[in-house]
Amino acid sequence: MTETQQTVFAQEPGRLSSGVSGLDAVLLGGFVKNGLYIIQGAPGAGKTILSNQICYHHAAQGGRALYVTLLSEQHERLLSNLQLFSFFDAARIAAEISYVSAFQLLERDGLAGLLTLLRREIVAHRAGILVLDGLVAAEAYASTELELKKFVHELQTLALAADCTMFLLTSSGVGIDAGAVRPEHTMVDGLISLHDTEYGWRVERDVLVRKFRGSDHLPGRHGLCITADGIMVWPRIESLPIPAHRLPREPDAKRLSTCVAGLDAMIGGGLPSASTTLVMGPAGAGKTALGLQFLAGSTEEQPGLMLGFYETPERLLAQAAGIAPKLPQLMQNGIVQVLWYGAAEGLIDRVANDLLATVRERGVSRLVIDGLPGFEDITVQPARIPHFYKALTDHLQALGVTSLCTAEMRELAAPVAAPPLNRLTTVAENLLLLRHVEAQGQLRRLLSVVKLRDSAFDTRVRGFSIARGGIVLDDTTGPADGRTGSSDAAPGG
Amino acid sequence: MATILVVDDEFGIGELLEALLQDDGHRVMTAMNGRHALERMGEARPDLVISDLMMPVMDGAALLRAMREHADTKDIPFMLMCALPERSIADRVQGYNAFLRKPFKLAELSSVICDLLKGRSHDG
Repeated sequence: MTETQQTVFAQEPGRLSSGVSGLDAVLLGGFVKNGLYIIQGAPGAGKTILSNQICYHHAAQGGRALYVTLLSEQHERLLSNLQLFSFFDAARIAAEISYVSAFQLLERDGLAGLLTLLRREIVAHRAGILVLDGLVAAEAYASTELELKKFVHELQTLALAADCTMFLLTSSGVGIDAGAVRPEHTMVDGLISLHDTEYGWRVERDVLVRKFRGSDHLPGRHGLCITADGIMVWPRIESLPIPAHRLPREPDAKRLSTCVAGLDAMIGGGLPSASTTLVMGPAGAGKTALGLQFLAGSTEEQPGLMLGFYETPERLLAQAAGIAPKLPQLMQNGIVQVLWYGAAEGLIDRVANDLLATVRERGVSRLVIDGLPGFEDITVQPARIPHFYKALTDHLQALGVTSLCTAEMRELAAPVAAPPLNRLTTVAENLLLLRHVEAQGQLRRLLSVVKLRDSAFDTRVRGFSIARGGIVLDDTTGPADGRTGSSDAAPGG
Repeated sequence: MATILVVDDEFGIGELLEALLQDDGHRVMTAMNGRHALERMGEARPDLVISDLMMPVMDGAALLRAMREHADTKDIPFMLMCALPERSIADRVQGYNAFLRKPFKLAELSSVICDLLKGRSHDG
């Protein structure tokens, strides 16, 4: 969520919070109160869970909800399934959330009878939310498209008069019909689509707001998961707006020490504040070591954060003890925090939103993303990655974070470092290159600064070693022919 | 139980009002415009008229004037409904007993109707 969303959206008058913070963020504050919404999705997409979650959240806020089923799940089975979720509260049933079956009445009295039932039940229960589960069944009882549209129109009028926000659940308009405009779509105030899409052997869920009257919303698809807490949504970070007051206006002259004295001297005292630095190099070149040393500069006023995909926090802690002795204590004191995502698959927006939320909550100044291509490893949408990196670095810079990201070069022994990372080298404002070279029968490490935001820098290629206490630069340089190599035995990152 | 005449050209509003008032036990007549409403009043005298302002053929303001000029209808309580705020129509419509801004809320509607049927005005 953006800063504005966190502080304002849930409280905004005229809005109904869904109880799913990520969805409220996508809707820029929640559903518009007294609107009529269609939630569509294939069976298993999460419609029933989401709509019940909305009902229980509304009840927890002091409201009442009416859940009307047509030809869908039996109530016993529905409630039994809902018990698996943390939002479910049996004590609210009947008093605050009423479940009503209306299929027999629909069969007997048609849409007119259903409308009368809904009106009377809403008034009787003083319901602020109505869920009609099984719009497909109602459609079947409409003799013409016009009759269905009239039914939807009358529901809309009722929603406004009765102060009731309505959700119609349907599995139509998905599958081969996906994207097709149905008569009822033109009538309602909003259309929310839930998808589960197959990518080879993997399936990813997402939510798409196709229509949302009366408000702007975050466009496109957004990551969704069904967890023990119900539906969770993570806005696609490319769609998240950056508050205007956060946009950088002029270059910040402030520097943050890398805590490597020789490197600081090469770059005018440290990394430019609120900039993104990419540290590239082959395995074992010292990338993680440099990141850990940078984090060792964290203080209570400048908290640090490490996001990692590969090294576990325990392993990082052990590594830190040898390289940056202050760091374990800073971690124990909470001045430096580690976020670790070890899963082989996942949602990059989940990781990115968690990262941004942590940065915002803790006021993080120093951030290390250890193994930036971890994002590429877990996503099923590689085409998004360049835009994702651009959005992520923009958000981090807007939050004033000085970020140091490591990335392993693919070619361990290439004579020239090829930028491998989906245009990340253009997004990163500062670029440091770490290499191995063979010299006099030994592998030696080299560091060079390739670019630095708005600043002059020392262009020499410097040799360095990783000793207890961290990285130490020396005055040696690599061979003139630029021949490089690597060593599996080399310590460091 | 009262007889209430609902005058509205917009699909949905009249139907909802009719259903809600019937649920409350009232007898309801409906009309689609002012002229139609005057004809319905010839069939039976309502205890209350609830009318939209903007309608074709004869609008709510003209209906109100016509009712107030006629001895049989001049005392019938008149609730005016409009999507515009009351201040924006107050200089061209006078003599109504209550004003209801659209979209109306059921609770507000019930309370105003109750008062009007008891003879209490809502400062039209």
